[in-house]
Order: sequence, then C-alpha cells, then structure tokens
Amino acid sequence: AVSHSQITRLYSRFTSLDKGENGTLSREDFQRIPELAINPLGDRIINAFFSEGEDQVNFRGFMRTLAHFRPIEDNEKSKDQNGPEPLNSRSNKLHFAFRLYDLDKDDKISRDELLQVLRMMVGVNISDEQLGSIADRTIQEADQDGDSAISFAEFVKVLEKVDVEQKMSIRFLH
Amino acid sequence: EDKEEESKEEDNGTHQNRTSKRKTLQRKNNDRKMTEKGVSRKRERDKKTPTKDEKDSENKEKKTNKGKGKEKENKEKKDRRSSTPSTSNSSDEESLSEEELAMLMEQVEQKKKLISTMRNKPWRMVKKLAMLREAQAFVEKFEGALGKGKGKKLYAYKMMMAKKWVKFKRDFDNFKTQCIPWEMKIKEVESHFGSSVASYFIFLRWMYGVNLVLFGLIFGLVIIPEVLMGMPYGSMPRKTVPRAEQATAMDFSVLWDFEGYIKYSALFYGYYNNQRTIGWLKYRLPMAYFMVGISVFGYSLMVVIRSMARNANESTGEGDDENFVFSWKMFTSWDYLIGNPETADNKFASITTSFKESIVDEQESNKDENIHLRRFLRVLANVLIICCLCGSGYLIYFVVKRSQTFSKMQNIGWYERNEVEIVMSLLGMFCPPLFETIAALENYHPRIGLKWQLGRIFALFLGNLYTFLLALMDDVNEKLAEEDVLKNITHWTLLNHHNSSTGNGSTATPPPLDPADVPRGPCWETTVGIEFVRLTVSDILVTFVTILVGDFIRACFVRFVNYCWCWDLEAGFPSYAEFDISGNVLGLVFNQGMIWMGSFYAPGLVGINVLRLLTSMYFQCWAVMSSNVPHERVFKASKSNNFYMGLLLLILFLSLLPVAYTIMSLPPSFDCGPFSGKKRMYEVIQETIELDFPLFVAKIFSYLANPGLIIPAILLMVLAIYYLNAVSEAYQRANAELKKKMQMLREEEKNKRNNKATTNSAMQDLEDLFQPNTKSESQPKQEEDKKIEPPNKASPVGKQGKAAAEDASPINGRRGAALTPPPHVLVTRPPMPGVRSPYPGQPRPGPHPQGPVPWRGRGQPRY
Repeated sequence: AVSHSQITRLYSRFTSLDKGENGTLSREDFQRIPELAINPLGDRIINAFFSEGEDQVNFRGFMRTLAHFRPIEDNEKSKDQNGPEPLNSRSNKLHFAFRLYDLDKDDKISRDELLQVLRMMVGVNISDEQLGSIADRTIQEADQDGDSAISFAEFVKVLEKVDVEQKMSIRFLH
Repeated sequence: EDKEEESKEEDNGTHQNRTSKRKTLQRKNNDRKMTEKGVSRKRERDKKTPTKDEKDSENKEKKTNKGKGKEKENKEKKDRRSSTPSTSNSSDEESLSEEELAMLMEQVEQKKKLISTMRNKPWRMVKKLAMLREAQAFVEKFEGALGKGKGKKLYAYKMMMAKKWVKFKRDFDNFKTQCIPWEMKIKEVESHFGSSVASYFIFLRWMYGVNLVLFGLIFGLVIIPEVLMGMPYGSMPRKTVPRAEQATAMDFSVLWDFEGYIKYSALFYGYYNNQRTIGWLKYRLPMAYFMVGISVFGYSLMVVIRSMARNANESTGEGDDENFVFSWKMFTSWDYLIGNPETADNKFASITTSFKESIVDEQESNKDENIHLRRFLRVLANVLIICCLCGSGYLIYFVVKRSQTFSKMQNIGWYERNEVEIVMSLLGMFCPPLFETIAALENYHPRIGLKWQLGRIFALFLGNLYTFLLALMDDVNEKLAEEDVLKNITHWTLLNHHNSSTGNGSTATPPPLDPADVPRGPCWETTVGIEFVRLTVSDILVTFVTILVGDFIRACFVRFVNYCWCWDLEAGFPSYAEFDISGNVLGLVFNQGMIWMGSFYAPGLVGINVLRLLTSMYFQCWAVMSSNVPHERVFKASKSNNFYMGLLLLILFLSLLPVAYTIMSLPPSFDCGPFSGKKRMYEVIQETIELDFPLFVAKIFSYLANPGLIIPAILLMVLAIYYLNAVSEAYQRANAELKKKMQMLREEEKNKRNNKATTNSAMQDLEDLFQPNTKSESQPKQEEDKKIEPPNKASPVGKQGKAAAEDASPINGRRGAALTPPPHVLVTRPPMPGVRSPYPGQPRPGPHPQGPVPWRGRGQPRY
C-alpha cells in the first residue's frame, strides 16, 4: 500500500544519502544524518538497517526497514488478521523498538543491556550505583515472570498505553 | 516452540532467496540507470509499477482460501485500502496516473454492482444497510475522479484542497506551539534544574498573561480615553502641578519619588475629572473607571479559580500510570527528531534530571524509620516555628505601636523614623533560613517541604502586609481630617477671587484664577497610589539587585577566585547559589497583591508590573542558567501548581478587602479623581442608573438591591455549594475505590503469572468468561481449524491459524499472552498422540501453502 510518489520521494532521499553513488548505503552514510548522529541509540538504529554481517544496504532493504514506520491508516485497523501482518503493525513497530535494546538477540532485555542504554542516555552525570538501581527498578516494574529480564511480551505490556502507532510513524509519505 | 523457530527460519530462507534475486534485478536496474541517467524520473516510475502490481497479486493469492461470503467483503475492504492511500498520496501537480485510474474505475464498477445486487445477498438487514451506505459513499466520492473533463478536474481540485488543508492544520499546530511565549527558555531551565524550578517560571508566565489582560482593560478603557478625550494638562487645578512645586517638578529626584509631573498625570487617580461624559463619544469616564476597578478583581478571581479547577481536573485525570515510571523513562524519553546538538545536550540534561527526580521520589517512598521519633520531631518543629511566628508578629506589633508614638514626637533620629522598615527587612532576611533549618528536622519529601516552607513564610509576610496597610490607613485618616479644613479654604479662596474681581465693578470678565494657584486638598487616593507604586518599584530594584549580587557576583567570585584560594570555593563554603523557589514564588505573589490593591488608585501600576514581569522573565532565566546550580535533591514539582494558586487566591482576597472598604465607606476627595463631589464612590452607579436608564430599570435595580432578595440568593448559593461539594466528594471516593480495585487486579495478575501452573484452571475460567465476547468472531474460525486439523495432523498450519484467529478476537490485543496457553491445551492435544511423527521430528511442512503467515512472524528478516 505504498504509492508511487512515496517511493519516488524515498528513492530521491536514498540517492541523496548515497554519497558513494553505488546504489547502496553504508553506515557512514547514515551517520551523516544529524538526528541519527546525535541520538544515543543512533548506532543501533543504523544497525537495524543492515542485515547480519553486511555493511551495505540497498534501496529495497532501506525501504523494508522504513516500512516499519509507515503510519497505520484508519482503514487498516479494521483489517482481517488472516493476511500477512504488515510491517507497520503495532507489534512490529514494538518489536523493532525491542530489538534496539536487545543486543544479544535472546529476546530478552537483560540488566546489562539496560545499563548500557542508560549509560548512553545520561552520560556521566549519575553514579554507577544509581544507574544500577534505576535498571533494577525498571526490571522490577516490568518483569512479570520473575526471570529478572524484560521479555518482548513484558515490553509490550509496559508500552501498552503508549501511542506507539502514532509515535513510531513517520509521515515521509505525504 | 522449536517448530515455530524452524518455520521462521524457513521463512527467512525463502525471503533471502527472493531478496537475492531482487538484488540482482536491482543491480541490473541500477546499471541501466548508470548508463543512461537522462530521464531518470520517468524510469523510476516505470520500474516501480511492476513491483506494486506484483505485490497486489500476491495479496490476492493469499486471500483465496477464505469463505465465499467473506471473501467478497474482504476483497472490497482490501481494495479500498490499497486504493485510498495511493490516490490520496499522489502529489499535487500530477493528477491520477493511468493504471490508478483504471483500478479506481474497476472498484467503482464493483461497488455499483454491489449496490444493485444487494437485495439478493443473504445478509442481515443491519449489515446490508451498512454495506449499502458505505458503497454509496464510495461511489459518490470517486465517481467524480472518473467523470469526463469537469468532474475529474473538480475531483483533483478537491483532493488538492484536502491535502492543503491537512498541511495547513499541521503548520498551524506548529505555529501554535511556537507562539507559546518562552516555551524554549522554560524547557531549557527545566532540563537543567528540574520541574520544580520550571514551575516557578511557568507561574511567572501565567502571571504575565493575567497582568497583560488587566493592563489591556485599564489602558484601553481608562487611560487612553482620558488622554485622548479628557481635558488636557493644565486646564484645571487637579491636572496642574501647584505653583509651589513647579520649580522642581521636573527634577529627577522628584520624579523618582513619583511626585511632580508624574503625580499629576493620568497614571494616578487624582488626575481624572468628575465630568460625567467626555469627548464626542460621550464616554462615561467615571463610570468606566469604577467598572474597570471592579472588573480587575472580577477577572482575576475568575482566572485564578478557573485555572485552579483546571489544574485539579488534570491532576485527577492522569496520574494513574504510576506503574511503569522507570520503564517509560527508559524506553520513551528520547526525542528521535532532535537533530541539533544543543537541543540534544538539553535533552541529555533533562533525562538525567528526570531520572534524578524519580530516584528522590523512590527513596522517599521506600523510607521507613522510627515513626515515633519522626512524629515527635515534626511536632517539635511546628511548635518552634509557631513560636517564631508569634514572636515576629509581636515584634511587628510592638514596633508599629512605637512608631505611632514616634510620629507624634518632634525631632526624632533616622533610626526611629525607619525602625519599622528595618525590623521588617531583618525579619524577612533571617526568618526564612531559620525556618529552613527547623524544617530539616521534619525530614519531609522536598516537594512537601517546599509547601510547608511557602506557607510559613507566607504567614510571616502577612505581618509585613498588615503593618503596611495599618500605616496607610493612618495616613488616609489624617488626610481626611486635613481635607475638611482645606475644603473650606478652597471654597473661600475661589469665592474671594470671584468677589474681588466682580467687586471692582469692571465690566471686563475677571481674569480666571490660574489653576496652579488654587489651593488643593491632600487627595488621599493619589497618596495611596503613589505609596503602592513606590513599594512596587523598590521591590523590583531589591529583587534585581539581590539576584545580581547574591547570585551573579557570588558565582563570578566563586568561579574565578577559586584559582587562587586556600580551599575549594565551589565545593566548600560559599559555593554557587541554588534557585530559591519559595522566596521567588512568594515575592511574585505578594507583588501581585500590591498590584491588585494599588491599581484602583494608580491605574498606571499595572503597566509597571507588566514591564517588571517581562524583564524578570529574561533576567531570572539568564541568572538561573548562568549562576545557579541545581538543587542537591532535584525533585519533581507536583503536577498542578495549585498551591501557588491557592496562595494567590488568598492574597487576592486579602487585597480585595481594603479596596472594597475604601470604596464603600470612605468619602472620596472633594477636588480630585473621577468621583469627586460624591459622598461615596459607588454612587456613580446609582447616578448612571438614574440618569441613563429608563425609570423601570432603576426600579428593578432597587428591587434587586433589596435585602429580602439578596439574603435568599446568598442562601441558595451556599446550598448549591454544599450540594456540589457533597457530589464531588462522592465522586472522589468512587474514584479512589476504582483505583484501588485496578491496583488489586494488576497485582493479582502478576501473582498469577508468577505461579502459572497452579492457576491454569483459573485461567480457563477466565477464558470461559470471555467466551461470549470472542464467540462471534473466533468461533467459526475455530471450527474451521478443527476441520482442517485431522487430515494433516498437528501441522503447524492449524496452530498458526489458531493463533491468527486468536489475534482476531478483540480482547486479544491486550490479553493475548494471557489467553494463548489454554487453546494449545484444548485443541492441539487430542488428535496428536503419536499418530504420525511427533513434534520434534516433524519434517518441515513445506512452504506453508496458502496458509496465513504465523502471527509470530514478527521476526522479520532484517535487510
């Protein structure tokens, strides 16, 4: 359900990012986007564009990742569930976010992973001990099955009331 | 589980294959593009169209395995889905492309067919009606696009306008947020100093808004009409500087005291004439003056109370999400649209601050110590503080009494004359730190501590206000007595002058007495006004100088002298200043009280205050950012700053009292101000009603003013207040009850998860409970699944279909995880036991034919 002009526009964006002019984007190309360069999770977002072990992404891959961020249209909500779930569905959006935190891909966010993220978000202003207690509290809040890690289901539960559909949508297509 | 993993892998594999193919295709395309770069835009479109069609056909294929009746509906739905975005998103200039048009045409045809065959469909009436309406709307909407010539243009125009409108709305929203004044400044302060400091600035901004409205009222309805249409300066005694003062009237020192020309200007009460109407507009200035004076209070009361109510609403409206404080901060605090390094720094700071705030809250809620000791300490602290307050109250009383005796004595020294001021400022300087020290005993959460501190200093400052008002009332009474004497003299002078000029027997008209020479009354109203203006200005100066010296100079000293000093100045004794929230808030509140009290007698006062708030916004923002450090325990402000508002309301009430008293029971001066010549100020209303309204209106008013009517009205209001209060209390109780229930439910759920095994039966009960809801949607599919299942036993298709069906049920979105286990047990168990190969050894079921992609398909390959 992506229209022409959308693809055209995204393609021109793609080519403008592509400094090497070889039809693929490298990590450096992404790093040039100021929003990503500044973002504490920027590297992980960039990583999300690349499949395992590759360091180039072509337009199709680029589109596939961006498709997560397509806004959900009103008439898509009432959709029957038998078809393939679109990439921009709520749970896929959430899973995209989840993967940003889940570094070792064990489908669980562990305390260490939380600590890494925290360290990136607050810098050196808070002591390690306090960061540890924040991470512990976060896990304590979210953890429901007592394995002291946040699984995807728990992650979904935490963000139940957050308007993910809207927040994880980019209106690049208009 | 294993199986699912496998199928996922399989999925990945096929995807990868496909992508590699695609990649090569793309490469080819790219190559082609490299060679002929000429008309790339058109090429791109050509390139993209096939993929789209491909996708569509894929979609269609996948949907072929559905029931007949449903299929049509779904298809239509899908069609609509795929068509609307594409049509609505095509860019403005180019209208629809060819194949889109064709698709649209096809759909419209379909719809039309549907409408004509609707009668024959075996559907319920409700559904039929709904479908019919939908189809008609669709046809109506899109037929225009297919019409020849005109219709098409109209359609394109409509689409364009719709898009423009959306864009406009978005821009307008952005514009609106940009229009909130100082939003950026405040956010910046908030990110470094926490929400408590920001709450002061938000309060300041709110105050500025209120004062701006008051300023508009007073300037628009009183000062500007007077300046434009009233008699000019020098035309009459009250508008002229007296002869004796004229020599020095322009000196700066005189002007600085608001004497001289400033005193005889439209900024003060005395300048206004008691002429009923002025100018060609017949503007009733005295009436306007009175009404504006009243409406300043009316508006302020309304605004304060309304914002209090709104704050209360907000604070009850949200705040039920205390469950995931840290998680939300962790996962959702970064703003991904930040692209500016400076903003990013601020965001880092604000995330850090908000974490710190949460830590403080957390620590407070986890604290449990000796409760008896704590209670004892708190009582002790309160006793100490009440002692302090009583002592300072008595001291003020004593000093005021003494000053009254001093004022009767001759040749007294400088100290005796200024004793009251000195004592007051000493109290103001030493008491707040003392209170703070005592408050350390109590060990409250800083947020609650701040409230206590505010309340206590407020009580102390009330003494300040009281002495000021007392002194002022003395002054006024003195002036009133003086006025009686002067009134006669003035009359006598005027009469004398008249007599002397006519007595000479000359036929020429006597030269009128110069207005500067006419003896004047003391005009106590202007005196009061000047008093308030002086107080306000000195307050402004003191505040600014304090900030400059106490914060900025100190910060400079600490920063630069630290290089050559014996100990560490930054960490040690002087250190940097913290932002004094309580002091600043109270300063603002009391200042506003002065404005409210003074604005009736000095209409220009509000103008001064607007300037003051404006400058202090910039100045304090700068001072905070440049020379203060965040509090040691950054704490989160309460969501509603209703406490500030409550203080403000109290001050508003207190400042309303003296003004109302003077209006209702003191006689206005005889030779100055808009009400001169009347016995009381409010008589201006009676006069207007009598002279400007028809007789029956006057009668109605006199009936309305009857105590027999007013007292029942007041009674009625009291009853209404009582009733509403009772209702709101009942609601509150119900609210609290519901919250408690929700909390309990949540905990129960958590417990349940922790020992799932024991609660499986309970889960089934729960599912039975939900069954009526889900039946309508998931039941048929379940049956379908069951039907499918026996032939290819335990193949994942059934299970996946099951999962998909599960997902379709409305409750599943939330409780999906809670409900998944039972179906596994219920449906998949029975046909399984070892008929064919068991689960683990099951060969891959092939690229699942037509079957829906599993719901678990979140693990999309990444590329």
